[in-house]
Amino acid sequence: MTTAPAPPIALSASDRSRLVVDVATAGSIAAPYWPLTSFVAVNPLGGLTDLAFHEAAASARGWFGARTHLPLEAYRAEHARGTVTDADLDRAILRHEPSLVDRQPLDLGGVGVDRLDVVRWDLLHGPTAEPLPPRETGALAVALDEIMMGWCAAFVDEAHTPWQMPDRDHGFYRSWRGVAGADRRLAAVVGRDVRARLRQLPDDPAELLDLVLGDREIDDDRRVNAIRTWILRTPGWAGFARWCDEWAPADRSGVRLRMLDLAAVRAAMDHLAPEHIDLHGPADTVTSSSVPTVTVERRVDAAAAAFGGDGHDGAIAELLGTISDGDRAAIWLAAHEWNFRDRLLARLTGPAATDPTERPVAQLVFCIDVRSEGFRRQLEALGAYETYGFAGFFGVPVRWRPLGSEAAQARCPVLVSPSHEIAEVAIDDDAGYLSTCSATAGLHDAFHAAKGGIASPFALAESAGWFAGPVAAARTLAPPRTSLDSTAGGRAKQPWWKPFGAAPRTAPVVDTATSVDPRVGLSLEERTLFAEAIVTTIGMAEFAPVVVLCGHGSVTTNNPHASSLDCGACGGAPGGASARIAAAILNDTDVRAGLVERGITIADHTWFVAAEHDTAADLVRVFDHDVVPAATRPLIDALQRDLDIAGERNSLDRAKRLPGSAPRVRDRGRDWAEVRPEWGLAGNGAFIIGPRSMTAGHDLRGRSFLHSYVAERDPDGVALETIMTAPLVVAQWISSQYYFSTVEPEVFGAGDKMLHNPVGGIGVVVGQSGDLAVGLPMQSVMLGEQRAHDPLRLLAVVQAPLDRIEGIILRNSGLRKLVDGEWIHVVARASDNDAWSLRTPSGGWEPWHLADASMAEHRTSLSHTDLSTPLSI
Amino acid sequence: MTTWTDLPTMAKIEVVIDGDDVPAMRDLFLDSGATGYTAVTGVSGFGHHGHHKGRLLFNDRASLSMLITVVPIERAEGLIAGIRRLLEDRHGVLFVSETHVSRPDYFT
Repeated sequence: MTTAPAPPIALSASDRSRLVVDVATAGSIAAPYWPLTSFVAVNPLGGLTDLAFHEAAASARGWFGARTHLPLEAYRAEHARGTVTDADLDRAILRHEPSLVDRQPLDLGGVGVDRLDVVRWDLLHGPTAEPLPPRETGALAVALDEIMMGWCAAFVDEAHTPWQMPDRDHGFYRSWRGVAGADRRLAAVVGRDVRARLRQLPDDPAELLDLVLGDREIDDDRRVNAIRTWILRTPGWAGFARWCDEWAPADRSGVRLRMLDLAAVRAAMDHLAPEHIDLHGPADTVTSSSVPTVTVERRVDAAAAAFGGDGHDGAIAELLGTISDGDRAAIWLAAHEWNFRDRLLARLTGPAATDPTERPVAQLVFCIDVRSEGFRRQLEALGAYETYGFAGFFGVPVRWRPLGSEAAQARCPVLVSPSHEIAEVAIDDDAGYLSTCSATAGLHDAFHAAKGGIASPFALAESAGWFAGPVAAARTLAPPRTSLDSTAGGRAKQPWWKPFGAAPRTAPVVDTATSVDPRVGLSLEERTLFAEAIVTTIGMAEFAPVVVLCGHGSVTTNNPHASSLDCGACGGAPGGASARIAAAILNDTDVRAGLVERGITIADHTWFVAAEHDTAADLVRVFDHDVVPAATRPLIDALQRDLDIAGERNSLDRAKRLPGSAPRVRDRGRDWAEVRPEWGLAGNGAFIIGPRSMTAGHDLRGRSFLHSYVAERDPDGVALETIMTAPLVVAQWISSQYYFSTVEPEVFGAGDKMLHNPVGGIGVVVGQSGDLAVGLPMQSVMLGEQRAHDPLRLLAVVQAPLDRIEGIILRNSGLRKLVDGEWIHVVARASDNDAWSLRTPSGGWEPWHLADASMAEHRTSLSHTDLSTPLSI
Repeated sequence: MTTWTDLPTMAKIEVVIDGDDVPAMRDLFLDSGATGYTAVTGVSGFGHHGHHKGRLLFNDRASLSMLITVVPIERAEGLIAGIRRLLEDRHGVLFVSETHVSRPDYFT
């Protein structure tokens, strides 16, 4: 029985400040968790990027008890498929252990055996780890975790419970302390006197932490680890707290779950419990692991038996002793990456696609998203279309307020804080439309509030079941089809309850001079600056009569993770609004006059058009037909026909990788029983920065982000620096999220989507209760037991002078950490006449060559399977 | 006649830190009783870690920021203790100086 604590002594201001900082440091290991309404892909190990990848992985294995690589069996299966070869393995081994090149062969019973052969054998055939027994975590601590997570959900709940915790404005700890005395589950674990003991605890969360840390005799040096141990009992909620502390918009409504409060509540529970959590953190964050490992002795014995040596003579033991089980996984990962890199670079080596002699009838700027690659390829095959890749917010970082909405939402990467707001206004009379919207929205909100309540669903079933029941049955038995009329509506993705067909024509207000609200719009100088950035970043020099800015979104239903399929560059929102804003800016005659002064001339007959690609249905809708000049409309009508054809072809291509009926692939997003409306960014592996001529004509299997860039038009490197410090960084977050959701779906992924339950209006839990599920659902990266994503670190492929690239890496510390720490691999060449070079972690460049020279000979035949993820074979 | 030296004396605290560390510093300021702060993003210069790039077009977090606050002298010690703890394992510099303010009620 824990003795009653001494009366708390107030912290000095200095001690309190230091403690607040220690909590922030402890919490920095948790990746921020964005609410699902604007899902943002993050690297779950983002708090460890000060470390090199392999060090961070070792630390994560200790702290999270999680796998950071595929099991050896999975890598060996890749070897059996031919997607990792012996040559790849040898290269990875020698990179890991360069001294093997010069060492004498092992003398095994008078027979010389190449050391490389022994290591390769160990990787291919050596014993693998036995599954560990279930982790001994302590039933009592687990029970307290469950109670803790229930209180977290109750604290943040905005919509689903009729009862709200009191004093939420005073923070989680104070609110919890005020009501936890009535928690019978807590009393069952810590004792019936819980109410009295809670009253004895300090009212201030920092003082509570100080009290408990003192009680447990944790000194200053061990304090961060101790606090981190409490925080990581609920890593999902810790991620949400980190988002609240560091990323939430300042004007966000809703309660704030602070890391300080989260740590204090868990510390208080631990303090009250009869048994305490071990607060020392991982015993050894580099080697300790809760994931299975195999002893070196077993591996040595097996290798000795295979090569006819004596495992006890020390030679094999000395050799394999330098390669830990974690090293084996790291070598396999590197080999897998070498293979992908070789295949991609083999494809991109050689003469670039020749510039078409025919002038383009239209230029289309798509988002860099990997899903654009296939669509662009299909469209280019249909006519004189020139396509570009640019971040899908088109370089205009703003907050967007749709018609009839009081709230504005950021439409830009989360790395940028938008300082401008753009509103959508009606060109026609909108009074009737807004009135209907308001009524239907109210009905919708009331229905869902009743559905999500505790007692109200019973009344709802009685009152609205006669209507909702048949509708639900109809949606289940006959899922709605996607309308393939791409001209219908011409408006961005809408909630289903908005009145279709009655919407007025609208336009974004981009000019402060025409805005009635002084907060809305951009000055002419700002608009001109953004226009210049769009054009120069992707290297556009000449303009076709029609230039389409095509954002993207994904129309899906009954999908809590829907925003994960929208545009990451738009902060997890559809990109149509950003395209409309950018088009309005570039069609502005005053802006064009300003661009002329900056050396950019856009002809009067060039018209910029906004569009949005629904990636679930492969449908591109063009916006704002009504404002297109009459002379340009025939061009857009012809383009729309080709966009429809490209969408049809791309969807058939996608259908090869998706289960189910190919003809219905475009309807998957509308089917509320469909757990896999599309593959999203599964398969992403490379980020290619260069002109389209590098990649044109190649089927890259939707595995590459494509960012347009022309080094000759960026002599000072500003555009490249923008690309490498923003889109490349965001792509690395996406890449890492897919990587870790694949290798460890239960810890770094969101688990089984079939078991998800929305919680607090911010996320999902797996099952009835539990921690917030981070990352991607299993169905986003797996098809049954088969992987749909190759977990590889992102490969950046850049066509630009090497000294320019190196300068950018060196002067941007965040980017440098990612490159030097091998979170990103970089390969580059100055022009298509130059050979590729690899950027080494130490800062040099070395020539790239194929591990298997025969790959180059078969370059032209590598058309279908060489870049494939397992599912596409 | 009143001169500027007659104005109330307070502590001016300036820190230059990575953009990623701004939220933690901001919270520390407010938690320590500062009533406000000024933030300057995209700070460039040359120092202990070489050249620092200024403002980037689409990444507000990758460049350095300067945060400035003014607090009563008696609150400075607690805040400085926290800042020094924060800078133990993060890049950044701290400047503390006396300053004179015309509206002391703004800072208390």
